[in-house]
Amino acid sequence: MHFTRRSVICAAFMQVAVLGAYCAGQAAPRLPGELVWAIGYDPKTFDPAKVDDIDAETVRYLTGGVLLRFNRLTQKVEPRLAESWSLSHDGKTIVFKLRAGLRFSDGSSLTSRDAAWSIRRVLLLGPDAPAADEFVNPSAVTVESPDSGTVIVHLPQRVIGIGKVFDEIAVEPADRPSEGRITSGPFVVADYRRSQFVRLRRNPYYYERDSAGASLPYATGVRLDILNNTEQETRLFLRGEYDLIDHLPPDYFELLRKQAGSTVRDLGPSLNTEQMWFNQSPVSPLPAWEKAWFQNRAFRVAVSQAIHRDDLARIAYFGHATPAYSFISPANRLWYNRNLSAPRTDVAAARSALLRAGFRWSGSKLEDAAGHPVRFSILTNAGNAARQKMATLIQQDLAALGMEVNVVALDFPALIERLMHTEDYEACLLGLENVDPEPNAMMNVWLSSSPNHQWNPSEKTPATPWEAEVDREMNRQATSLNDSERKQAVDRVQQIVADQQPFIYLVYPNTLVAISPRLQGVEPAVLEPELVWNAERLRLRGTQ
Amino acid sequence: MFRNGPWPPAGMGTRMRFHRLAAWVLAGLTAVSLAIVIAPGASYSRQDREQLFAAASPSHPAGTDALGRDRLVRVAAALLLSLAGASAAAALTTAGAAAVGAMAAFATGAVRWTIMLLCDVFLALPWLFLLMMVRSALPLKTSPARSAAITFMVLAALGWPACARAVYRGVLELKNADWMLQARAAGLRRSQTLHHVVPNLLPLLLPQFLVSVPAFVIAEANLGALGLGIGEPLPSWGGMLLELDNSAILLQTRWVYFPVLLLILVLLLVEAIMVEA
Repeated sequence: MHFTRRSVICAAFMQVAVLGAYCAGQAAPRLPGELVWAIGYDPKTFDPAKVDDIDAETVRYLTGGVLLRFNRLTQKVEPRLAESWSLSHDGKTIVFKLRAGLRFSDGSSLTSRDAAWSIRRVLLLGPDAPAADEFVNPSAVTVESPDSGTVIVHLPQRVIGIGKVFDEIAVEPADRPSEGRITSGPFVVADYRRSQFVRLRRNPYYYERDSAGASLPYATGVRLDILNNTEQETRLFLRGEYDLIDHLPPDYFELLRKQAGSTVRDLGPSLNTEQMWFNQSPVSPLPAWEKAWFQNRAFRVAVSQAIHRDDLARIAYFGHATPAYSFISPANRLWYNRNLSAPRTDVAAARSALLRAGFRWSGSKLEDAAGHPVRFSILTNAGNAARQKMATLIQQDLAALGMEVNVVALDFPALIERLMHTEDYEACLLGLENVDPEPNAMMNVWLSSSPNHQWNPSEKTPATPWEAEVDREMNRQATSLNDSERKQAVDRVQQIVADQQPFIYLVYPNTLVAISPRLQGVEPAVLEPELVWNAERLRLRGTQ
Repeated sequence: MFRNGPWPPAGMGTRMRFHRLAAWVLAGLTAVSLAIVIAPGASYSRQDREQLFAAASPSHPAGTDALGRDRLVRVAAALLLSLAGASAAAALTTAGAAAVGAMAAFATGAVRWTIMLLCDVFLALPWLFLLMMVRSALPLKTSPARSAAITFMVLAALGWPACARAVYRGVLELKNADWMLQARAAGLRRSQTLHHVVPNLLPLLLPQFLVSVPAFVIAEANLGALGLGIGEPLPSWGGMLLELDNSAILLQTRWVYFPVLLLILVLLLVEAIMVEA
């Protein structure tokens, strides 16, 4: 082979071009006093009113000043830009009193007119502003600002957990929406390079001060690298280029524990759940005998009793998950039912229950009363190693009952097509991310009329008496003015679900994080954003 | 037959010995794998939940995987499954390509054009998405063994066009060869010449078959590495290669490299046999 001079020059030019492109793809260098970590994807919007994805939510959290903040550690609502707030007895009128001397990041004054305008904007955006939905009937909500320090919101009906809704409404300058460039929160969007990073700089006019009177935030800025690769994120963390990792997968948690043990922390169960369920829909294309199995409580309970949840937590999550029996995690301190009675692992009891329900064994294989072998598939999404491991472990657990289980991993669109449209599946193993500890946020799962009532979606009337009772109790907790009555209703729903096992809860994945020893002021919480909920108080060791 | 230069060419005897050695090693590997899989007590699916990522021991000579399953038995079963499936798919695809290529070569202009267009269309198909679509359209209760068979059949159904083009060229050359023209001039009908063509095509079909085998082995491994391959608990190269995607697992045991090393060895052996053929 002969190389001509021209080909050598071309090759060299291409190498330089490739190297240049590679360098351009690298994150910018860290500025003095700047905090750095990674978010998965580009934020879909910088408009705080239109935030609908977790990455945009992170940017809004860091930049948006809010009237009230839901404290991720205490799980209580606290006043922020509002000095105080009050809710009328009927729950329909909220009055906010603003702090004096508030300013936006450009130095202009922040008054009640700006706060009222920001709330109205969210309400008027309707479906484009996810926070508007939480007012239940946003078009009927009115907002007034009788003086420069007072905002009054009138609701057409009581809304449970209304204080927390204002955690999602960033106050912007009236008539000057700036997509995060002029903010009332601790940081301001300074630079954005698509697929590379979002750079935030400190808001010099942020109102908050620490106990010594020093202005917050401590950090000069934040750089959020856009990186959806745990392998690379871990490597950059180990090199000291990132200050923290939230949502650490359990296998990488173990890797970091071996290489930099003091940096990782298991915060215990998260609010999220992993569960499996059987398709009980009467209109699904499954054979009648399979529908009969799946609608049979004894069958579902027997399956639940045969599953070794400790093994799922130990093997699929390397011990960083907690066996689950309810849709509310113990991390949700207020709403978790501590007196829950749920079927525990007991294979002998499961076999007896199946016998009583008319099932029998032909050799080692389980059959129903009509002689149909009990054979079904568990669907899960491809690419989630923990779920695929759990499904394979359950496959062996259920073999102990004589059930023949196929594990099928499908890409997500194909999975959703089967779950939501064709309903052509037998059992499914998936997780549910709960960002809100308030049980009202789970109404769309538990009301029998909901399309997200996965085991039997969009029921015209409740298919069973226990589903009717769940509907009643969920509506009771949503409308009651009495907190203890709400707690009773939610406890009852947890007990019904444990008795009936429409969702067979498997584990609560633990919240796993890594924190650089250089980072000070971190108070990890299980609620998002776990490590940076007090971002204004975070700083690197050795910086002012 | 006239040739230029000495016969056999220098070095051919060494290559022939290497080719035979490769064939014997591959046969030996297959026999050993079969013996491992059918040995009493061997199971590729039994989970020993107290022996996760266990090191090599007399009871588990290559250790265990993340679910406590014997890695040696799983790798041996994956080798057998992959080679059997890929060979069957390669045989099918070669036979199909031979039929289509010969048909096109002997057909009239419009039919030939249509067949070749069909080949081009198949070559342009995004096969990975097609495989994913087929995988998602399969009945969910399809057993892992049957879904593995279907996966290889789909690979065969998608793999024939490139081979058909080569066969088409080969048949055209044969059709225009001197001996064929003489046969036609002597009064042989076209259909009568066909059975003279097939034996002459074998030197072309055998390499096509051998090229397809590693291609299908890799295609199955790719699908498995996407998590869309052969269903659990049936072992597959792809499923085992998934472990290599994760440096956290790589630190657990060096035996996670075993499947990929064996896969490379098998591909090299098939390649060695193929080059000589």
